[in-house]
Amino acid sequence: MVKKHKILLFGFGRYAEQIAKNLALDAHHVVIASLDKEELKVAAKDGFEDLHVVDIKDDAQLTDLILDHDITHIFCAFDDEEKNIYLSITFKSLFRTLPVIAICESKETERKLKLAGADKVIDTMVAAANRLYYIVEKPAVAEAIDEILFKDKSIIFEEIKVPKGSFLDGKNIKDIAFSKKYKVILIGLVDKELGNKFIFVTRGINHKIDAGDVLVVVGKKEDIKNFKKLLGVMV
Amino acid sequence: MRFAQFLVDLAFLIDNSLRYQRIKRFVKNLLENDDYPYKRYFDYFMIFLILSSVVIIIEEVKTPISKWLYYYDVYFVTGVFIVEYLLRLWVYNDVHKIIILEYEESLFLERPFDTKRVVKEIIKKKLEYIFSPLAIIDLLAILPSYRELRILRIFVLFRVFKLLRYSQNITHFFQVLASKKIELFTLLMLVAFTILVSGISIYVFEEQHNPHINTLYDAFYWALVTISTVGYGDIAPVTHEGRTITMIIILVGVGLISFATSIIVSAFSEKLNEIRENRIVHTAKRLDNYYVICGFSHMAQLLAKRFKREGIDFLIIDNDANVVERALAEGYLAICEDATQADAFRHINFNSVKAVMALTQTDMHNIYICLNVRSFSKECFIISNAVDNNSHKKLKLAGADYIISPYITAGFFAAKIIDEPIAIEAIKDILLARKNALCEQVEVIKGSFLEGKKIKDIDFDRYKLILLGIVKMEESAPKEKFYHKFIFNPDEEHRLEVGDILIVMGYSVSIANFKSQVVGSSLRHGKKA
Repeated sequence: MVKKHKILLFGFGRYAEQIAKNLALDAHHVVIASLDKEELKVAAKDGFEDLHVVDIKDDAQLTDLILDHDITHIFCAFDDEEKNIYLSITFKSLFRTLPVIAICESKETERKLKLAGADKVIDTMVAAANRLYYIVEKPAVAEAIDEILFKDKSIIFEEIKVPKGSFLDGKNIKDIAFSKKYKVILIGLVDKELGNKFIFVTRGINHKIDAGDVLVVVGKKEDIKNFKKLLGVMV
Repeated sequence: MRFAQFLVDLAFLIDNSLRYQRIKRFVKNLLENDDYPYKRYFDYFMIFLILSSVVIIIEEVKTPISKWLYYYDVYFVTGVFIVEYLLRLWVYNDVHKIIILEYEESLFLERPFDTKRVVKEIIKKKLEYIFSPLAIIDLLAILPSYRELRILRIFVLFRVFKLLRYSQNITHFFQVLASKKIELFTLLMLVAFTILVSGISIYVFEEQHNPHINTLYDAFYWALVTISTVGYGDIAPVTHEGRTITMIIILVGVGLISFATSIIVSAFSEKLNEIRENRIVHTAKRLDNYYVICGFSHMAQLLAKRFKREGIDFLIIDNDANVVERALAEGYLAICEDATQADAFRHINFNSVKAVMALTQTDMHNIYICLNVRSFSKECFIISNAVDNNSHKKLKLAGADYIISPYITAGFFAAKIIDEPIAIEAIKDILLARKNALCEQVEVIKGSFLEGKKIKDIDFDRYKLILLGIVKMEESAPKEKFYHKFIFNPDEEHRLEVGDILIVMGYSVSIANFKSQVVGSSLRHGKKA
């Protein structure tokens, strides 16, 4: 399932440096663009090769960059929040469909970024503060989430679209022993009947699964692969 | 000479007696040390005595009271008051130290031991206490029990005053007023002078004409009533001269009143911060298991919000008064101190602090804070924010147990958000506890129904929970840093042991229900055994 995405990362400040490293770890191809040559020097030192000096105000330059590199995702990770907002707007006007991810440090900026059209916004401060909360109050949960999300690469989350005619189509959630039989844990689903909202299974409502619903499962890579095979989803 | 020898021997005997010292220290703590945990109970007890005796005395005015109440008031309450008075007199200072000091001095200077001087010194010290305002109130509060003299009833008031001792707030009030001693004294002099002059004049002018003014006492009474702008009107001037004086002192009175008000108001506004800080430190002292957050940065604000929502206690320390003001406005406990200075932590008892968090925006400050906290407590868990990656090592050296960096956290999430966007959304919802779906840890307690069970025997579906995994505790590791082995989606046959921690996911009600069942079953088990 790991396909290599080509990600255009803007900026190479404190945030972008960490993001770039983690993206590279996950075998993505990272293209770094910044106006600041010093930043790019740091990036070069960290082992990144695809570096570009770009003026974010120059639309032509940005368009060339994206078309030349066949970019799949855009990451706005300047330490300066305003630049991220500006970039989000620019890209949404240039390439409507290209997913834009941006970081921010406050609720206010998050709102602006969403207005500007960013598809995903990461509020870094909220993430850090809540992480801190879990570390001191519920260390075991923090450990578990770390393990599942970051440390243990063999555990993955997966979104599976239920294909028409598969053995899940038309079944009730309660009737299927996800964790016992298939060794995957069903966290929730996006039920087409109930609107495109993510629902946790622990609500206790017995959902009927239909073709087209998206199941969110977590499990070992192997088990998920097997599960998908059984469902008839292409691996 | 024999007497002097006896005094010295006695003094040394007392000085060497550990038991005496211990008892005295206990009494002193009970009476005077605000931080002593049992003082509060003593205070409550005394407040109860005072209130009950005041009620009895008031009741007595109209109806005869029962014999038992009378005995309770006269013997028990008064008895306790007398004992308290004597104890306070006793712990006020150490008499034997005066004797020993004089003895040592006399040896050193090779002169005879001066008994007279010692006795004089002792009496002087004790009188010093006896004439302190609070001691006088204590003494007067004992008097109302002597019912034969009706005038002594007035001293019931002093029983109420005695409450002062046991209430922090009122003590603060007087401290504030005490800070304006000079101004208040000036005001008092001014009032006394005006009353004197106007009282005498009205007496001179009206004594013959006004049927209400017969003595100088009447005149002074009238002057005070007029000057305070109360003006009962029971005594009113009848002559032209008298009315002229009245007009003048009414004007003076308005001036004096505004003067008094301004003094008190300014005293309060000056001292308000100090008092508030005092109160906050006091409240913090009473907390148990709380967090200390140094630096009210953006991250700290978000954390504080979360803590507040979860009902967890914390204290914020920041050196910027405006920031502290903002924190206080949010309803948090916050004090304005520089956390890099030793002074900031002098009131904090690190035994009841769960963790200290250095969350300022600069690494240098965080490092100082870590060092500072470490100098107070070796065991306290310290978490620090790190801006620069190079600082991690330094922070660890400075004593931080855990380092949080918004940059690194952002990096983790950023990488995942591309591959597993829905997962991140789900995890985000869980972590922020937004949709009421939570991730919670449940410990397998000894004796609970979880102990020794296999995973397949626990019907998580019935509890509407999902079991994500189990965290196994490593026994050798220290409590704060254990959690080494995480087993994801454990095997059906996996057997739970005491100390294992289940990581479950579900709605808050389901989790609360499950937890209470676990705790309940362990209690039941305990009872049977």
